[in-house]
Amino acid sequence: MPPKLFQSEILAIEPELGDASRVTISVPAGMANEVRPGQFVHILPRGEGTLDPLLRRPFSVMRPRPENQSVDILVRPFGRGSGWIARQKIGASLDVLGLLGNGFSINPSARNLLMVAGGVGAAPLVMLSEEAVEKGLNVTFLMGGATAAALLSPSQLPESVEYVVATDDGSQGHHGFVTDLAPNYVPWADQVFTCGPEMMFRSLRRALEPHRLHRKPPIQVSMERSMACGIGACLGCVVETKKGMSASCVDGPVYDLDLIDW
Amino acid sequence: MTLPDISVDLAPNNPRELRLANPVIPASGCFGYGQEYAHLIDVQRLGAFVSKGITPKPRSGNPMPRIVETPAGMLNAIGLQNPGLRDFIKKYPPIWNDWTVPVIVNISAETVEDFVEMAATLDEVPGIAGLEVNVSCPNVNAGGFCFGWDADMTAEVTRAVRAVTTLPVIVKLSPGAIDIVEIAQAAEEAGADAVSLINTLVGMTIDTRRRKPILANQTGGLSGPAVKPVAVRMVYQVAQGVSIPIVGLGGITSLNDALEFFMAGASAIQVGTAMFVQPTIAMDLIDQLPVWLQQQGCESLADIIGSANPRFRAKLAVESAESAAV
Repeated sequence: MPPKLFQSEILAIEPELGDASRVTISVPAGMANEVRPGQFVHILPRGEGTLDPLLRRPFSVMRPRPENQSVDILVRPFGRGSGWIARQKIGASLDVLGLLGNGFSINPSARNLLMVAGGVGAAPLVMLSEEAVEKGLNVTFLMGGATAAALLSPSQLPESVEYVVATDDGSQGHHGFVTDLAPNYVPWADQVFTCGPEMMFRSLRRALEPHRLHRKPPIQVSMERSMACGIGACLGCVVETKKGMSASCVDGPVYDLDLIDW
Repeated sequence: MTLPDISVDLAPNNPRELRLANPVIPASGCFGYGQEYAHLIDVQRLGAFVSKGITPKPRSGNPMPRIVETPAGMLNAIGLQNPGLRDFIKKYPPIWNDWTVPVIVNISAETVEDFVEMAATLDEVPGIAGLEVNVSCPNVNAGGFCFGWDADMTAEVTRAVRAVTTLPVIVKLSPGAIDIVEIAQAAEEAGADAVSLINTLVGMTIDTRRRKPILANQTGGLSGPAVKPVAVRMVYQVAQGVSIPIVGLGGITSLNDALEFFMAGASAIQVGTAMFVQPTIAMDLIDQLPVWLQQQGCESLADIIGSANPRFRAKLAVESAESAAV
């Protein structure tokens, strides 16, 4: 399904990850069935009669809900745009462009999947985990946050997922970064998927380097670059890859971590 | 009752003409090469579009971050990422040749010779309706001083490009010039068919936590609604100093914004940053403009071009002006 511009309605808002919200928004017929984990929607963070904030904001889909033509996204109010969206109430209307981006892909031979999530970067990995469990695959979900309150609630993941957490302040789970936990799982994992702040990707790559042989297991990363158009026109969100500049909105946001030129 | 005529010719002095069914043009750098938007809007209905700026050699552009939002605007420092003249010619004009929408190619270079090479090469390429010459680039032979800030340098580039192409030539002016009217006149005298203005204004945003500019390039071009009053003022001034058509741009997000530019003296408008935010904006303007003109009792777009300036006499080749007089 090519991207569409549509008016969406906020159907539900639930607190999640401490100060963030899980927001359920309506989507056009069929879209919730077609969304792939890692794809995102681009939301205009303002109402009628104002031009500020100017640009749309990208949000990865956390969960499709085909039964009522909607999807969940995770919104943390850390800026002017996300703050505006977070302040909206149930029933409010949003101007949305989507679906955008390529999405994660699970290798046909993979059995054991390792997720490494930081903050609201958990969103696309929740969807990917649900899809993986449905296919009968094994999932371990590593989640990092500043405090226990900032972690994803376990109820958001399928029961069979092994959920392991790390907090910066040691209030729950491992006291430190989520990337400290990852090396233990490398011998087990057939594939690694990660989403979160860019610093986390760099430290993940460093942490896993001595444990990976011949770039195995492969690591897919969802890059969260600030973005203007979302459709490959402005080239504001590019990622430097070993094959040249890549527009993360259309050629990404998901990349093979080893292809990124850091 | 038929709606008022909104067609325009942006190159009335050029035998090849640049006739547009309507005066609405997505701006360079904001519309990719046209295909990016093809699944969201009917690209063929546009008056024209300006393709992303190309350079003689491929460019990978600037490091990240390249964009940052500012109050009612954005800064960009993309750095002219493009495949270079040779690959560009192979890839895009053959596609456009099958399209009905006129495509204007934006060219950038750091020497007059490079501008000449591009203009001469593109003159023969099917699928291209006109050139937009980006003089907002540093001239490496003049110590990096921007071509578009100097009347003589603007004239030199324009004259050199004019000499090697019969395509309609639009010179895109930089708002960084001390006297933009003087630059526009220099372009006109050197043979430009039209001028477009304004390019972005150079700006900066500083990350106070890191105590460094946010953009990797440090400075970037400011665009969006924040620049509109500057752009309208410059179009208004240039319209009093030249008789070639003016293409107005800078922060247009609504019909009312577009009308300001027409009334300031623009024969056509470009929509830039707004295309990123609301991809349907160009279509909305194309639909709304004739309806508004009709409500105002206008016979054609020519009735309002320059109308904000009492001394301004529209000599512009809005096609309908002639047909209305017949």
